[in-house]
Amino acid sequence: MPGNRNVKNVQEHIIISPIGHLDPHLIRQVVQEVHRITGYDALAASVLQDVDFAFEPSRDQHCSTPILEKLADAAPPGAVKILAICSVDLFIPILTFVYGEAQLGGKACIISTHRLSEGLGTARSDIFIRRVVKEAIHELGHTFNLRHCKDHNCCMHYCRTIKDVDRKTHHLCRYCKVLLEDEMKSMSKI
Amino acid sequence: MDKTKILIVDDELIMRESLSGWLKRDGHVVVSAASGEDAMRMLKNSRFDILLVDIKMEGMSGLDVLRLVKESDPDVAVVMITAYGSISTAVEAMKKGAYDYLLKPFDPDALGVLIDKITEHQAQARENIFLREQYQERTRFESMIGQSIAMQKIFDMIEDVGPMESTVLISGETGTGKGLAAKAIHTKSSRSGGPFVAVNCGAIPGHIMESELFGHQKGAFTDAKETKKGRLEMAHGGTLFLDEIGEISMRMQIDLLHVLEDRVFYRVGGTQPHEAYFRVIAATNRNVEDAVKQGVLREDLYYRLNVVSFRMPALRERKEDIPLLAEHFLHRFSQETNKPVKMITREAIDDMMLYEWPGNVRELENAVERAVVVGKGPSIMPQDLPIFCHENVQHSRHRSLSEVEKAHIFDILRECGWNISKSAQILSIDRSTLYSKIKRYNLEKPT
Ligand SMILES: Nc1ncnc2c1ncn2[C@@H]1O[C@H](COP(=O)(O)OP(=O)(O)OP(=O)(O)O)[C@@H](O)[C@H]1O
Ligand SMILES: [Mg+2]
Ligand SMILES: [Zn+2]
Ligand SMILES: [Zn+2]
Repeated sequence: MPGNRNVKNVQEHIIISPIGHLDPHLIRQVVQEVHRITGYDALAASVLQDVDFAFEPSRDQHCSTPILEKLADAAPPGAVKILAICSVDLFIPILTFVYGEAQLGGKACIISTHRLSEGLGTARSDIFIRRVVKEAIHELGHTFNLRHCKDHNCCMHYCRTIKDVDRKTHHLCRYCKVLLEDEMKSMSKI
Repeated sequence: MDKTKILIVDDELIMRESLSGWLKRDGHVVVSAASGEDAMRMLKNSRFDILLVDIKMEGMSGLDVLRLVKESDPDVAVVMITAYGSISTAVEAMKKGAYDYLLKPFDPDALGVLIDKITEHQAQARENIFLREQYQERTRFESMIGQSIAMQKIFDMIEDVGPMESTVLISGETGTGKGLAAKAIHTKSSRSGGPFVAVNCGAIPGHIMESELFGHQKGAFTDAKETKKGRLEMAHGGTLFLDEIGEISMRMQIDLLHVLEDRVFYRVGGTQPHEAYFRVIAATNRNVEDAVKQGVLREDLYYRLNVVSFRMPALRERKEDIPLLAEHFLHRFSQETNKPVKMITREAIDDMMLYEWPGNVRELENAVERAVVVGKGPSIMPQDLPIFCHENVQHSRHRSLSEVEKAHIFDILRECGWNISKSAQILSIDRSTLYSKIKRYNLEKPT
């Protein structure tokens, strides 16, 4: 639609959507870090009530791919990206489980806290929060077209074990930072 | 670019999609085929480093795919994907040359570890070839020959830009003299007393490029026994020639841009900033605008490099230079080899004028060199020219396809001085394909 291109009536933002019951403090932390790293306004809003539709009885897990499609469809105007956080165990058909999944260069991503409390007690823990924040930034990074990074400290590093997650930071390395800026620039051109 | 190319062969859409999604996020180039037949068709047109093949499929089975792939290209790593019921088949596949098998659904780390292991293996193999064949360009400071209007324009250009400090981007097909032009610009500059350091971005494997360019600090990685200066440091006060800039990885492009903007860089594993002042001349035989459009070459780096640019004309666009160049090379090689070859016959020149010279001046140079070496009389005859290699044609009648392929690859490699990128370009295959064929045919650079 010519002429309409640059009209933005809603401020662009990233939505953090908790699914099911999650610690509000945790969500606040994610919101804060997402804003800090991407520069976008980040706000918590529940976009999907439940993910029952994605439940796979034979595996007793939820498939993340259809959730991403629903999320992307449900994204309100102005939401450039949408990150869901759930506590159920996620999988994609070829793999036994995933910490999260993202549409590469797309709109939606999701992370699960299910496996992130490994080795930790039930009490609210900073280590747990840090893990969730890292995985959140990681999956969001994929929606900004970032791929896995070989730098062990970079948030886009693919972690095999929870130990790897604890070792990496929630920051992007200098390469990934540049690539993120590239992607944002090209987004603002469209 | 050193990206791993992966082909997924599975008849189940959902498996293809979830696997390819994961692998793409992991940074690989991924293509999927819905059947063994489709896969074989795709393999005709492009080469893959890794094949992930489902064992049970309608039509052609996974084992059939494995067998055919291994016959045509043993260096491709084939990983079988199997359901619980068919483990015994997977074990059989291992005996027939499969790299490994994965039981689906598999653990994400099992997949990650396996892909990393394979790519490391393959990179190692490439590095070995690189080190063994350690590519060496003829390093004479040659004068450039040419009477054509096209070449006269190039000479004017070199005179003009030489004394300027600006970055220069030279484009043009392989063997047109981009390297020579870069040296000439250096010679005409105020830095001519300083070093001229060439980096062939296409010849150096991706994973050792970083330390080649930036150097490394002792202990930066396992092999870093000593602190080593990189080529940037060596170019201080002179000219850095970045040859085949189109082959450089995204990461290196980001670093290079940084250096060009701030003149500051870090050695691998080092924290101390180093400053280096040098002029950059870059060359590429790709179409640069296309490379930018495809996202292979960063736009910002391109603008940095493209301050002044010109294109070297192909030899077929200036055929009037052929006799002159041929005479020039004849003179040089007859002196070097001490053979009294005095002239090139009219007929041989005619043949040369008819030929299109896809390898341009380098190919002509190599053709003349070969003719001087193999020629029997005082003058070069048409049959001394490899382009119309009359003897070879006859001998090849009873040779198998792979024998002919081997011989042809060897010829091209020799003509290109064992420069992998150039040879690959002439052969119209990618570098990794050429690497694997060199390995497969056990080709070695004669010493
Ligand atoms: N005008 C010329 N006069 C004399 N020799 C030339 C001329 N042009 C090229 N050559 C010779 O041809 C060979 C190839 O030249 P050069 O390496 O400069 O080509 P190039 O364009 O850089 O090729 P590539 O892109 O494959 O690296 C060299 O040995 C060089 O000496
Ligand atoms: Mg060259
Ligand atoms: Zn990831
Ligand atoms: Zn990174």
